[in-house]
Amino acid sequence: MLLLDRVARSFGSVHAVQSVSFSVAGGSVFGLLGPNGAGKTTTMRMILGIYPPDSGTIAWKGQRIDARLRRRFGYLPEERGLYGRMRVREQIIYFARLHGLALGDAERRTDRWIEGLSLGEYATRNCSELSKGNQQKVQMACAAVHDPELLILDEPFSGLDPINAEALLDAMKGLVASGTTLLLSTHQMWQIERICSEFCIIAEGRVRAQGTLVQLRGAFPTRTVRVVPDTPAIRAVFDAAGALLQPSENDGVLYSLPADADFGALLRGAVAAGPVTTFERAEPSLTEIYLHALDGASRDAVAA
Amino acid sequence: MNDVLVVFAGEIMRRIRSRPFIIGTALGAFAIAFFVEAPAIFSHAFSAQTDTIVLAGPPSLRLPAAELLRSDFTVVASVERLPQPVTTAFLDAHRHAAAAVGLTLDHGHVRVDVYPRDLAAFNDITFSSLAPLDFHVATGVPLARTRSLVRVDRRLHPLDTKFADSRSASMAHGVALGLVFILYLSIIIASQSVMASVAEEKTSRIAELLVATISPTDLLTGKTLAAATLALAQIAIWVATALFLFPGAASAVVSSSQGGGSAPAGMPVSAGVLVAFVAFFLIGFLQYATIYAAAASLISRTEDLGSVAMPVVLPAVAAFLIAQFTTVSPNAPLSVVVSFVPFLSPFVMFTRIAVATVPMWQIVVALALNALAAAACFYVAGKIYRVGMLLYGRLPSPRQIVAALRA
Repeated sequence: MLLLDRVARSFGSVHAVQSVSFSVAGGSVFGLLGPNGAGKTTTMRMILGIYPPDSGTIAWKGQRIDARLRRRFGYLPEERGLYGRMRVREQIIYFARLHGLALGDAERRTDRWIEGLSLGEYATRNCSELSKGNQQKVQMACAAVHDPELLILDEPFSGLDPINAEALLDAMKGLVASGTTLLLSTHQMWQIERICSEFCIIAEGRVRAQGTLVQLRGAFPTRTVRVVPDTPAIRAVFDAAGALLQPSENDGVLYSLPADADFGALLRGAVAAGPVTTFERAEPSLTEIYLHALDGASRDAVAA
Repeated sequence: MNDVLVVFAGEIMRRIRSRPFIIGTALGAFAIAFFVEAPAIFSHAFSAQTDTIVLAGPPSLRLPAAELLRSDFTVVASVERLPQPVTTAFLDAHRHAAAAVGLTLDHGHVRVDVYPRDLAAFNDITFSSLAPLDFHVATGVPLARTRSLVRVDRRLHPLDTKFADSRSASMAHGVALGLVFILYLSIIIASQSVMASVAEEKTSRIAELLVATISPTDLLTGKTLAAATLALAQIAIWVATALFLFPGAASAVVSSSQGGGSAPAGMPVSAGVLVAFVAFFLIGFLQYATIYAAAASLISRTEDLGSVAMPVVLPAVAAFLIAQFTTVSPNAPLSVVVSFVPFLSPFVMFTRIAVATVPMWQIVVALALNALAAAACFYVAGKIYRVGMLLYGRLPSPRQIVAALRA
């Protein structure tokens, strides 16, 4: 398990990370969310030992992270690069060797990754000759070739087309199936929602929300209900319950209600007010949760 | 240690296939061939032209000799006899004369012993104007009537050099110039290859992945060792080219190494000089390469490389120029002092070793000072490198660099 306990890091007068705490269960996929400049990359770099935290502790399986432990981690940074004049296979082997694998083992695992990511025809080409998508696959292979215990992926889907993004997602699932713990950040909510079991939203260096999707939804203050048809009588029922009308691109109308509203009573009231063909209560999406958390952060910033 | 070896092997693999390395090796071989074939040209091109002498001998020889030499030399002092041995200090004491010329009668013939400051500046015909003197002394015929070509036993003697004759000394000057040039090129090219490697990792953004995997110190160490190894391999190829073009050199080097310090006549490069070359290459390379690496770690764009590289190359250029002077005056105060100054010393001390007999204590002190400087460079550069590798944006200010060093 990865544990961060009140971790902080400043660069001069900029407080990049302030008392961030969260834990990541072994073998799980953890999503770190936040806008640009929120402190995600600094947090990841502290986990990897690139920056030491100013205060707080970071531990993996109960041990402080040192060079020996770090060798068992993998990292795909947001700003990615490869040695342009190095061949694909040699490059992956090189990183496998840097992670402590013997040459034979490194070669075997490299060939497995090359096959798994359909890079076979590029194996002997220089990386500079590859398309961006294929370069990102090579970068993923470099980060994960040693079957890391913890793999940290900073914006792994950035710049990938849907097919390559799907290939990357499959590779991640394969790693998780083999016991790797994933910590990833991305702005692509639909991707992260599919794979992560737990989330942490940070903004301005502070944790704004964290938990499983169920827990985050449970803490979300409102729910949305779509009702078809949109009639004055039905609107009157929702108005009486204090619902806010929201624009809808589909049939019917959307109402926003407090999470603890009596949706059964509303359904009964709507049916009594006229024929109802659709009454659909939607759980908040991760995007809504994310935006709501950031909205809170903005309010805090204004208040400060 | 394993990380260093992996980086080392990776760097070797990437660099050895790179076009600059292949082209540099080929060009270096051509340069070697040039210097092997034309040392004398260079020795004369760069040697000092001197025309001041101290004339020594009995007045009966000295006065007519002064008259004969008047057109070619200025006699700055006349003395009865020369001290033994004749030293640079003696010449310095006589208005920094270029040479001391001793005249004696030997079995009725005039003997001329020349002790020049720079052997390369004097040769067998330099004192040909003295030829009538022998005839004048032997026959008593007035000097004015003996101004014809008469052979004089002229002998050139080194002041305090390790070469048997002027030809060896002359060649040594030429070869020293060539070797200093190769030393300069090797150190700068190899150091800049480290800089290019760091800059590539920085600008391609692979640096973050690397420092998340291994320690920056291991990364820098592996990189530096690889560049040094490749540079030595390059030099070996160049030397092999020289030996191929100058087959006598191989046996001469072997025999000089067996015979101790001095090189045999006709072969100006002793094994000791070659050992000094490798030692001063390594020690100079370490100083320059680590500073170059630190400088490269601070840039975000390859366009900025020139601005950070320029200040680093200046000491090497200065040292190279001083080394030119040192081939002529290896024991001049400037040469001696600079041969102890880190960054300059690898070029200047090596030049002194190549053309003169340098006291062992001076070599040991120079090596020790340079080793300390190299260690200090590695320490400071390592700190800057650790911070610089993750620093993007504008070039950091000196204050930020100092803050990084204190961190």
